[in-house]
Amino acid sequence: MPDGAMPVLDVRNLRTVFRTRSGEVHAVNDVSFDLRPGELLGVVGESGSGKSVTMMSLIGLLPSPPAEVRSGQALLDGRDLLGMTPEELRKVRGARVGFIFQDPMTSLNPVFTVGFQLTEPLRTHMGMTRPEARRRAAELLELVGISDAERRLDDYPHQFSGGMRQRVMIAMALACDPEVLIADEPTTALDVTIQAQILELVKELRHKLGMAIVWITHDLGVIAGIADRVMVMYAGQVVEQAPVKELFTNPQHPYTRALLQTVPSVRGRRVEKLRVIRGQPPVLGAPPAACPFRPRCDHALARCARENPQRIALGSGHDVACFWDPATGEERHA
Amino acid sequence: MLDAAAPPKKIVEVRDLKMHFPIHAGVFRRRVGEVKAVDGVSFDIHEGETLGLVGESGCGKSTCGRAILRLYDITEGSVVIDGREIGHIPQKELRPLRPRMQMVFQDPQASLDPRMTVAAIIGEPLVEHTGLSRDARLERIYELMDAVGLNRNFANRYPHEFSGGQRQRIGIARALALNPKFIVCDEPIAALDVSIQAQVVNLLEDLQKRLGLTYLFISHDLSMVRHIASRVAVMYLGKVVELAPRDDLYETPLHPYTQALLSAVPDPDPASAEKVKRIILQGDVPSPANPPKGCNFCTRCPRVMPVCHHEEPAFTEVAPGRFVACHLHDGTKIPEAPAAAAADQQGDAT
Repeated sequence: MPDGAMPVLDVRNLRTVFRTRSGEVHAVNDVSFDLRPGELLGVVGESGSGKSVTMMSLIGLLPSPPAEVRSGQALLDGRDLLGMTPEELRKVRGARVGFIFQDPMTSLNPVFTVGFQLTEPLRTHMGMTRPEARRRAAELLELVGISDAERRLDDYPHQFSGGMRQRVMIAMALACDPEVLIADEPTTALDVTIQAQILELVKELRHKLGMAIVWITHDLGVIAGIADRVMVMYAGQVVEQAPVKELFTNPQHPYTRALLQTVPSVRGRRVEKLRVIRGQPPVLGAPPAACPFRPRCDHALARCARENPQRIALGSGHDVACFWDPATGEERHA
Repeated sequence: MLDAAAPPKKIVEVRDLKMHFPIHAGVFRRRVGEVKAVDGVSFDIHEGETLGLVGESGCGKSTCGRAILRLYDITEGSVVIDGREIGHIPQKELRPLRPRMQMVFQDPQASLDPRMTVAAIIGEPLVEHTGLSRDARLERIYELMDAVGLNRNFANRYPHEFSGGQRQRIGIARALALNPKFIVCDEPIAALDVSIQAQVVNLLEDLQKRLGLTYLFISHDLSMVRHIASRVAVMYLGKVVELAPRDDLYETPLHPYTQALLSAVPDPDPASAEKVKRIILQGDVPSPANPPKGCNFCTRCPRVMPVCHHEEPAFTEVAPGRFVACHLHDGTKIPEAPAAAAADQQGDAT
């Protein structure tokens, strides 16, 4: 990775709150991260950890109300996304930031042909004429490995299988050559053999097209295979961030460590008893005043109940939000 | 595990099970074909063991589990549970046998009635099948809640007040209510978060040890099946393509589909992720309404031979306890021999 290069996306202190009838839910609490050109950043967390909400907040895809971005800054090439009007944001979406969602069936419109859905962004964002857009759409389908592309443009989404539909979604996300691609659990709904096909495709495409990708998933296995850098989220905050190999070989946060041990492997050593993370993730009615993982943590210290740890840099791009030091088993000394 | 000495007792014996669903079309809703969801499946499950049933969506694994418990009227074949043939007996005669065989469903949200309290849900099978008094029933409900790790004080709450993992515990408590011998677990952890999955799997294992339960564990999660199952059956397009003891299957898979399936599972370890040689299968699973001629896997198999296109491979035992349905292993009892033939075949393909 080109270290030190200007990030394409620079997010600082993002806070997003949902206002519901039963009070506020603090879904994203002070999240900061950057995305460098050509990099694949993996975002890992369980449901409710705020990983999707973080990304949706950036590009105004959350319904408001109930969602409300309280504070923060998100610079895409120096321009703050959070300060944009809906009209400006619409130009960013699709043209400069592409998306792939989990379930391709619900994100494709069943009553329009795939060709129509692919050419629409090309004509609105890139100002192409109908035949130009159609030619480009066929190219895109070929790029994502759909054979007989020209003819398949006239097919409807239901005429494609699950894996093929996800390929169509990828083609749509790539249509306007975005600088940033946000992929939200893009392979979760797919079978493993189809997932393997899509992962191969993404690996190939990202080098061909050189875009930066944010890959949201709960599957540590998927992340290990494709990410350059990983960010672990818990209760709406980033608890650990590191280059992929560093994270898997030298995890620092008790949550990351427990998560890695709780997932069985198909190849490694087989454990007799799975390690359990007791309890369940919290729903935050207020910004956490203490460490949100404390009730489930095996290493909680007295200090963890008093303050919420801030992220501390450990060098070589690794940072962690925790007071406990796995090397000594005691409180970390800065 | 139960070892060699005495042959373990068979709790479930499935022979040539077929479950075909008719397709009706046209103005007169004529029968134009059938979806062969389960098409000739045979296996045994021994007392106290967990048989893992894995495969991708649409391969028929859930239908198979439901057919074994006779939630469907099966098309063909025989199912013997605990020494009693239940394949074709009418539902009325099945009813008294139900307490022995139970099911845990995938989606605890959908399988629990939102208008019943937890106590009513867990107690319903007791009302239906036992003559317990009100007090005795409540006592049993509390006992079950303790067994699955639910707080007794929550007995009068409704399912929506619980998290996904806790709801699955309610489903498990309901399945245990009548002291079953055999439980079909149909993707019991698929809807749960990773940190909760381990809790439920450990609970299932503890209960198995304590109560001597026998499980059919249906899942698409190959790593979790490796953890919980003692033997594993792999299904593809309505058929079992390979069945073997767990370690054999994961270490030396024989069927090309099992090999591809295992190689496709991403490993949570970047070092091993680089080492693994992935077999990327081309294309998609064919429709079970119109399976290919010959071997069902012949359209995607990286080691396909001419014979695969017209002759269906038999499901044969190639080593003790290891069954595979593949022409690569035809006419041999030694799994090593076909490797040479396979190498030739790969040469042709490239």
